[in-house]
Amino acid sequence: MSETPERQTGFDRRMLEALVCPLTGATLSYDAERQELVSDRARLAFPIRNGIPIMLEDEARALS
Amino acid sequence: MTNADDKTTHFGFEDIPESQKAGRVQGVFNSVASKYDVMNDAMSMGIHRIWKDAMMDWLAPRPGQKLLDVAGGTGDISFRFLKRAGHGHATVLDLTEPMLVEGRKRAEAAQMADSLDWVTGDAMKLPFRDNTFDVYTISFGIRNVTRPLDALREAYRVLKPGGRLMVLEFSQLPNPGMQKLYDLYSFNVIPRMGQAIAGDRDSYQYLVESIRKFPDQETFLGMVREAGFENAKYRNLTMGVACLHSGWKI
Repeated sequence: MSETPERQTGFDRRMLEALVCPLTGATLSYDAERQELVSDRARLAFPIRNGIPIMLEDEARALS
Repeated sequence: MTNADDKTTHFGFEDIPESQKAGRVQGVFNSVASKYDVMNDAMSMGIHRIWKDAMMDWLAPRPGQKLLDVAGGTGDISFRFLKRAGHGHATVLDLTEPMLVEGRKRAEAAQMADSLDWVTGDAMKLPFRDNTFDVYTISFGIRNVTRPLDALREAYRVLKPGGRLMVLEFSQLPNPGMQKLYDLYSFNVIPRMGQAIAGDRDSYQYLVESIRKFPDQETFLGMVREAGFENAKYRNLTMGVACLHSGWKI
């Protein structure tokens, strides 16, 4: 519906409805500035690169 | 068949620690991503298109369905699904980022951009809520998963009640003579083709070995049932060179 130019490379917020942390199954929060999906319980931030969320533990940043 | 204490797995004909499999598989697909579709055409002499059409015939996509296409890399299955469904939504998940980037570049991906999501993730730890999808597909992907049964259990979890699983994978020929001919082709021709087309013999050597190592039709059917699927069935394609397995989450 919305033909925004960033649709190809930007992260689509609608994905948050289905996405959860692959380790805990918990809801994620979106950090638009850092382009990360944050799992509070797992203390991990999953990167979003070119609009594609990378939901792999090995690629996630550990939160202090 | 599976031993819970056995912590090694196959990487083609090699036995390797389970912890290394995902990385090795990623290596293969990072290496082949840009040539993957060309190689599929060459290796199967175009027959993979007929198999994928057979998959869609059995699946019979309906308007409005939500698909999760695991190991969906270049989007091939998702595009077919969306075209057949008329309208719907597909989430393409792959372990390998370059495969998804390659898929998103394709013309179909641009035309259907609003109906597609692309996610890098692990088939054994899907980053999706329970009961989310109407259909789960995995096409020539499950033999690359470290523990296929775990992937099938995850498929069951993320499917809605009434949801459908469909697996397309290489399989085993029913008769030893035919299997021998097929082995001659796959072990002699395919790695050379990989070298000639993609400049990568080792990755294609892995592909043929992994095909030979994958469980046969009946064994895999048992795994589909073990994961919880009902009314599980299979159909051979090209006499069993490939096979479709179907199951329902009731």
